[in-house]
Amino acid sequence: MVDFIQAVGSGVLVGLIYALLGLGIVVIFKASEAFNFAIGEFLVIGSFLFYVLFFDLRLPFLVALPLGLAASALVGALVERLTIKPLLGRSPMSMTIVTLGLGFLLRATVQLFFGSHTYSFFLDLPDITLELGSLIFLSDPIWAGMLSLATFGLVLLLLFRTRWGLAIRAVSESQARSMAYGIDARLILLVIWALSATCIAVAGIMISNFGALAAGSGIVGLRAIPVVLIGGMDSIGGALLGGLIVGVCESLVAAYIEPHGMVGFKEVAPYILLLLVLFIRPYGLFGTVRIERV
Amino acid sequence: MISVENLRVVYHDVISVLNGVSLRVDDGEVVVLIGANGAGKTTLLRSICGLIKVFDGDIIEGDIRSGDTSLLGLDSMDIIKRHRITYVMEDRPVFEYLTIEENLEAAAFSRRDGEIKKDVEQVLEIFPPLKNIRGKRAGYASGGEQQMLAIGMGLMTRPQCMLLDEPSLGLAPLITEELFRIIEGLNREGLTILLVEQNAHAALSIGHRGYVMETGRIVLDGAAEELIRNEDVREFYLGAGERERKSYKDAKRYKRRKRWL
Repeated sequence: MVDFIQAVGSGVLVGLIYALLGLGIVVIFKASEAFNFAIGEFLVIGSFLFYVLFFDLRLPFLVALPLGLAASALVGALVERLTIKPLLGRSPMSMTIVTLGLGFLLRATVQLFFGSHTYSFFLDLPDITLELGSLIFLSDPIWAGMLSLATFGLVLLLLFRTRWGLAIRAVSESQARSMAYGIDARLILLVIWALSATCIAVAGIMISNFGALAAGSGIVGLRAIPVVLIGGMDSIGGALLGGLIVGVCESLVAAYIEPHGMVGFKEVAPYILLLLVLFIRPYGLFGTVRIERV
Repeated sequence: MISVENLRVVYHDVISVLNGVSLRVDDGEVVVLIGANGAGKTTLLRSICGLIKVFDGDIIEGDIRSGDTSLLGLDSMDIIKRHRITYVMEDRPVFEYLTIEENLEAAAFSRRDGEIKKDVEQVLEIFPPLKNIRGKRAGYASGGEQQMLAIGMGLMTRPQCMLLDEPSLGLAPLITEELFRIIEGLNREGLTILLVEQNAHAALSIGHRGYVMETGRIVLDGAAEELIRNEDVREFYLGAGERERKSYKDAKRYKRRKRWL
């Protein structure tokens, strides 16, 4: 039983990071119906930008973090301007395909600047290891989970309590209608990509802190796929729930099934779960909740 | 004053929808534009307000002027902000997942002044049914409420001229009456209106001048009272033939007058 709670707890903490990744995908999908396949590369770029500011330039943490996130936002905006904006009005499939190629391009660029070797990434955060009886939750995962949750909350605050958030929600519903009322939809799309990149960067920093950072670390970004497909590609709440489900699923499988010999199965399990969910709810648990007046 | 001169508009590079349209809207007027489906009325409004490119359309000839300045090439944000022309799209353009209030606030996003809250209250006064449902999501509102909201959102951009695209579409007659009364009231307070409608009778009753459009051309224009009395307008758009219902044979084109004048 203790093992179970331990596994679920760790799963929730990791799941919160996944939820943040999912949020990065959902926010873009709601606005342009495109799936950002370059999410892994955004993750790595965000982590490396922070790495340079904090480890190389030795800026204090509270300076390096916002600066690093701002830099990630800028990269997101640049990507949008150069690759997505020219496709405005084209099918969302075109944009999705572009992000596939973009992923390769970005990964190669990162390798150009940082090489392919592994960088040690260690944030000396205050120790908040939690020990409850025979349960133990290490400090780094708790920080990762809490910071991810905080970021998620800040994004919700932005979307539902600010003017800009209102504009983002309006543009996500209909670009044409927004433009008819004077909302600069192109600017808002830029902001949306910057916001997504920032969320992914936060997740990336948290993930890198678990050990190491390398150009190929981005592969973990694809864990966002089961997260958003389970939760619903256009649902923010779904991203949170999907993240938690995937995190707990991985953790339980690692604790109970892997010891029996199927090492690495925890990577596969979320996809099997995804398949099961899609059989019952093809749009994900919370996807396309359509408001219809009866 | 808006003037459209010999406008030709093409969709997707190949479909010619406006084939030389000229019209004029003077300040303070209600100008009515009537015509059957597919005549090009919505395309004309999209062109005036700078949204035509969003729908893969191109203005290939002609000019649109607001006062002395040409509006060609400007985008909708500029046209709303600098020329104060706002387009209320067809089919009740509201944001369904936002509440009524949020919709009005969203429409004011491009404004930088501090009077937005005041204007929201004012719009809710103009459309009393909206006041009762201000916290409701727009997707749950009735058709009439949504249309009022759309016009209210247009008002939030503080226009001098509003282009209304078939506001009465799909609405019950009583709601349509109320809506047109409100539109007339807005005009009396100084708002210039270009009103595209299929409900020709209601529109011409509150209009000063009117144009009739068919397959991308203006085929008739004149004062609203004259158009209401015009025999062809009555037959084709008002549904009131002077004689008995004609046989189909008599309605065949080669037996009709070849021209509108």
